[in-house]
Amino acid sequence: MILLELDKISKNFTDFKAVNQVSFKVNEGSIFGLIGPNGAGKTTTIRMIVNIIMPDSGQIKFLGEEIVPDQIGYLPEVRGLYKKMYVEELLLFMAKLKSMKTKEAKEQIDYWLKKLNISDWRRKKIEELSKGMQQKIQFITTLLHKPKLLILDEPFGGLDPINTNLIKDIILELKESGTTIIFSTHVMESAEKICDDILLINKGVVILCGKLSEVKKNFKKHNVLIAYDGSDDFIKKSTEIEKFNNYGHYVELQLKQGGNAQRILEQAVQDKVVIQKFEIKEPSLNEIFMEAVGTDKNGGGNYE
Amino acid sequence: MSKKVFAVISREFVTRVRTKGFIIGTLLMPLMFVLFLGGIFIFAIFFQPSTKTYDVVDFSGIMYDEFTEILNDTLGGGEPKYVFNKAELKDGNLDSTLAYLQNRVNGKKIDGYLIFPKDILDAKTVQYAARNVSNFEEQNDISRALSRIVTNYKLSESGVSPDSVRNIFNRGKVKLVSHQVTEEGATEKSGASSFVLTYILVYMIFLMVMIYGQSVMRSVIEEKSQRISETIISAIKPMELLVGKLIGICMLGITQLVIVGLIFLVVALYGQAIFISFGVSSMDLLDVINQINFSLNIFIFMILFFFFGFVFYASIFAAVGAIVNTEEEGQQFQMPIIILLIFSFFIMFTVAQNPDTAKAYWISLIPFFTPIVMFARISVSDPVIPDGAYLSILVMIVSTTLLLWLISKIYRVGILMYGKKPSLKEAIKWIKYK
Repeated sequence: MILLELDKISKNFTDFKAVNQVSFKVNEGSIFGLIGPNGAGKTTTIRMIVNIIMPDSGQIKFLGEEIVPDQIGYLPEVRGLYKKMYVEELLLFMAKLKSMKTKEAKEQIDYWLKKLNISDWRRKKIEELSKGMQQKIQFITTLLHKPKLLILDEPFGGLDPINTNLIKDIILELKESGTTIIFSTHVMESAEKICDDILLINKGVVILCGKLSEVKKNFKKHNVLIAYDGSDDFIKKSTEIEKFNNYGHYVELQLKQGGNAQRILEQAVQDKVVIQKFEIKEPSLNEIFMEAVGTDKNGGGNYE
Repeated sequence: MSKKVFAVISREFVTRVRTKGFIIGTLLMPLMFVLFLGGIFIFAIFFQPSTKTYDVVDFSGIMYDEFTEILNDTLGGGEPKYVFNKAELKDGNLDSTLAYLQNRVNGKKIDGYLIFPKDILDAKTVQYAARNVSNFEEQNDISRALSRIVTNYKLSESGVSPDSVRNIFNRGKVKLVSHQVTEEGATEKSGASSFVLTYILVYMIFLMVMIYGQSVMRSVIEEKSQRISETIISAIKPMELLVGKLIGICMLGITQLVIVGLIFLVVALYGQAIFISFGVSSMDLLDVINQINFSLNIFIFMILFFFFGFVFYASIFAAVGAIVNTEEEGQQFQMPIIILLIFSFFIMFTVAQNPDTAKAYWISLIPFFTPIVMFARISVSDPVIPDGAYLSILVMIVSTTLLLWLISKIYRVGILMYGKKPSLKEAIKWIKYK
């Protein structure tokens, strides 16, 4: 079922097109990766989804209707909290901004503070908290009202490995319980591990979109590494291979587009070649990203 | 208005009302007022005039007796106001006499001396010498007494009886009793009494509009510089956030005004009785309290014009907050607003003295000046409500609505703009953003 649908969304600022004819669909219960270099238009796209700014043209549908801000949890990339407020007071305020009732909000606050091991700090002022704890509080503010859609813009930015893991586990837990998550990042490694679907955006234009596994499969550069003992005929005869580099007992080869590595393995077995190692090297998201952005005639985005 | 606005209002209110700054400020204002009254009281006690002693050398030989007879006033405690000693010529020479008298002044035996010349009736000059010659009241007393004696002699010389002339003068004296015309008819009221109070109240409005306006600006800058805006704006519309902010901080100001105002009212209504019951009998102090004719009428208008002044100026302060990135930038940008406020405070001084001129009328209808100037006119004219008072309320409603609409457009763009400080021109362009 489609939770969110963007249809030909465009947004211009005075001197440039921030988002240009972007369309995509987000399936309910999935983790959707919105990836691209800094300045690609990710934040602008998200701001339009959460109703902070209006698109110049195009439509955004949430379950087929207008966006309901109270059903969305949003963790912006640039984030901060009121330093002079008490933790509990701040969380209650944020819950009220999402139209929650006091009693329910308090239950949720208890639950999440416990879950993130910061119950002891509830009566402290925000300014007394460490940066990591403030991040956790901010994360909680996006979850209190049990949003259908959770939008996380660079959620791991500035987190230590322990907290990164904690947040990652919670994201996966939320997914299990049916929450849809849009995960925006320019760090490909984290997107690759966690996303079901991805949308690659650069300079406001969609470059790639789809299931992560299919995006990878359709990507032309699939490499296979084989360590073998025996005749190399199975390589030479194969019609699946674009090119290869043979070292005698070790070969690196690149499959043709749509080439099937399984057939190469079958041939080797038929030829009674001893296979010591057979590794299909899927392209990393990073490679796909570099390739896609690199072929863009205008050059890539700016990396940080 | 959505429930979310209430969440914003209560946040803005609660996080501020509990700060030491607010509590101290609220208590300090009436305390300062009490100190002000107490100061006058202490002043009155410490500077109560004491008996003054003068030596008098009367060369004319015709002045002294009558002179001391006229100046026989007594002070509050029953002591005489003046004590005069008749001094004789020393060694038959003026210089040594003067030296002797100066010695007595310096030795603090007397406060000063007077020398009546032989030809006083023609010269009409008297030497007055004292340790301190700044007391006009005493010099006035002495001068009047001498003039009266000399006039009497002159009248007698012309064959006119001084007493009959004085009688004629007294019968011809006209007393001016000032009345203020109100709806209920004419009531007696002293002209000066309204001013003291008006200045105090106008100053309070001026100060509070400025302080709470800046408070709004800082609140906007905090959300912007701490990167809170984006989180909040995803849940609530910018206009709602702005309105909630304005209402929350405005309520803070009104809370303060009500507390201070109630204290004023109590002092105005029962102050005299309270002070008398504490055994205070200084007429000066009771007079001061009497001048505080702080009425409920003024109180209500004060809150009303604080409200308009606040919303008007605070929305401009909010726009500044949305344009700049840091408090330092805000400090620079806010100068024009503060100058406008101070300017209206200066206009108020002139207008309060002539509240019924056409100029005063028109100036008090310019939205930038209305809150301070119109309130001053109302306060000075109380209990009469001056022309244009109700019209000015309408002017403020229309102008603040328009201003708020305009500023909300700058605000919603500005709070999400980080980085470079935009020029005013760019900021104005934001108004056209979709």
